[in-house]
Amino acid sequence: MRSSVLFRGAAMVIATATAALALAGCSADNTGGGADDALTIGASLPLTGEFSQGGLDTQQGYEVWEALTNEAGGLLGRDVEIIVRDDATNQNTVVTNYNALIDEDQVDLLLGTQSSLLNIPGSAVAEQAGMLYICPSCGSPDMYNRGFEYIFFSQQALAAAQADVFAAWVAALPEDQRPATAAYPTLDDPFARPVIEGAEKILSAAGIETVYQDVYPATTKNFDAIVNAIVDSGAEMVVQGSQFEDGVNMVLSMDRAGLQPEIFYQSSSPSYGEQYIEGVGGADAAEGVMFSVSYHVDAETDGNEEFVAKYKELFGGDVPPEDAADGFAAGQVLAAAVEAVGSTDDQAALAEWLHDNEVDTILGPLSWNADGSPTGAFLIGQWQGGESEIVLPEDAATSDSVLRWRGAAF
Amino acid sequence: MNLLIQTLISGALIGAVYALMASGLTLIFGVMRVINLAHGAFAILAAFLTWTLWSQFGIDPIVAIPIVTLVMFGIGWLVYVGSVRYVRGAHVSMSVLVAFGIALVLEGIMGFVWGNTAHVVSAPYQSESIVLGPFYIREDALIAAGVAVLVLLALQLVLHRTWKGRAIRAASVNESGALLVGVSVNQVAAFAFAIGIGTLGAAGAMISVIYPFVPGSHYQWIARLLAIVVLGGLGSLSGAVIGALVIGMGELLATAYIGAQWPIAVPFLVIFIVLLVRPQGIRGTRLREDAVA
Repeated sequence: MRSSVLFRGAAMVIATATAALALAGCSADNTGGGADDALTIGASLPLTGEFSQGGLDTQQGYEVWEALTNEAGGLLGRDVEIIVRDDATNQNTVVTNYNALIDEDQVDLLLGTQSSLLNIPGSAVAEQAGMLYICPSCGSPDMYNRGFEYIFFSQQALAAAQADVFAAWVAALPEDQRPATAAYPTLDDPFARPVIEGAEKILSAAGIETVYQDVYPATTKNFDAIVNAIVDSGAEMVVQGSQFEDGVNMVLSMDRAGLQPEIFYQSSSPSYGEQYIEGVGGADAAEGVMFSVSYHVDAETDGNEEFVAKYKELFGGDVPPEDAADGFAAGQVLAAAVEAVGSTDDQAALAEWLHDNEVDTILGPLSWNADGSPTGAFLIGQWQGGESEIVLPEDAATSDSVLRWRGAAF
Repeated sequence: MNLLIQTLISGALIGAVYALMASGLTLIFGVMRVINLAHGAFAILAAFLTWTLWSQFGIDPIVAIPIVTLVMFGIGWLVYVGSVRYVRGAHVSMSVLVAFGIALVLEGIMGFVWGNTAHVVSAPYQSESIVLGPFYIREDALIAAGVAVLVLLALQLVLHRTWKGRAIRAASVNESGALLVGVSVNQVAAFAFAIGIGTLGAAGAMISVIYPFVPGSHYQWIARLLAIVVLGGLGSLSGAVIGALVIGMGELLATAYIGAQWPIAVPFLVIFIVLLVRPQGIRGTRLREDAVA
């Protein structure tokens, strides 16, 4: 009797484990097929897990670039085919995926994954294999102090400099409008922390006292205690390093606690467009939130009009998300290097060309330092009347005014 | 001082939701000696069902509670009949393995059906609060705490005022004795498992408003729930309530006074300390099998 129970139990375990593996297999297999002579480009992306929102958006950007490139005759006369493997927001899986893309799929080129957290191991695999690695979302300074030669970040600036324009603007405000104290809650993420550390450095140097500073893990869902501590600190400005969910939850907790600083900055969350607006409870709730952004839908940059049109055709919606634009720009950078060199065989030559040249993208012109970090500056966006506007720097602004959070213009 | 009081208020409200989630886990262990590692996955399933009712039919999560509870009760019954009953009475490690397998299957199914992006129900009371002088009480957590109290009271009534409830308690105290007086322990166990999962109908509905969730969120929940029932005493409903309040307040106090990185460690620290100091938990009792040979 006992052995019968044990046997049936063991059988149940095997059956459930098998079913789980089968289901996991179904949802993780994203490898596509294509023409035999196509130029293959491999990428790992977090299509599931914590960073799946950004991963899925980036994948859309890659797919738009793939479609437009093929419509225009391909690259070096060959169609391009992007092979995407899901890394489930797991660093170990990123390594497995890039090894598989290089060794099993034998791709011609690589594109990066989403977030610095995942690009750190991904870029190491590419460097070891001597392959060019264009990453659309790898702004952590930690990625560029390793002496790598093949990595290039296809946005305007590193994370540490992303909030520089914002911080400089706050520091330059007239004294009666400038906050005296600030709180800096930030996600424990290599893309979010440096943004806030960079901003805090500039703002504290300008005499704005830091009264709250803490780092929370990605698993944090309840921000009540953090917000309570900020209220207790008396901070007049909140500068948050956020991804997506955490930024939305922060706003909801601030609403409940009645915390309403005049200046409220979040590093990434507000750039998620409609999803952010929906999450925080509507356009009024988001009014005046400031954020760093690499892209604007109305920008008159190289290929932007075609990108927006193709994005709408493939995926619908009015405004492509920022991560999709960043993914597309990564493709533009890759294409520029390949076309200039004329081959994918010598990946060192591709890297050398990028070090020496500037590339026009939908994010604007991009150029790089010797370590692969970009040399530009980020735009500062703000939600105004349900629209994402560029407010800083002034020469790139799409709006005449900078608003207080849910308040009047400065 | 205001920070301390505000943190305790917020912690107590969140603790009430934890209590609702942990009550089913401790009930299932009390009757069947099954550590249901799939409990967190069932809670996330209930949250997804609530989200579906809200997004597809516009049903408010509070209104959805009876529907989701009935569905979860049915799912609990089916899962018991289809798998758990085969390991009831087997060594505890076997039931742990089966429950973990169920959790993985549920995670896979949820990912397949709803995807792996974060979901949350944007109820109108989600960002509202009641202000009392320098303090505030978040409305969603207050509603959730109210629901938790009602469900826990109903559970107590069922356990103490109904024949089925008495049978559950009898089976949990002495299975052989219950069999001798005519209790069908198998049926009682199925009923208890279904009730335990059914309570997650209310809990899942509430967490769908309070926390964004993905299929993999259950790992975080099960760690917390295990800490609660270990602290309260495995099988003790009142212990689960006490444990939930302690963990809820402990997490928020740790965030406010030590650092935002610490709440995640609180459940594991609690398990560690309880096992060292009082292995049977606050309201648990030591059994003969707990004695070291």
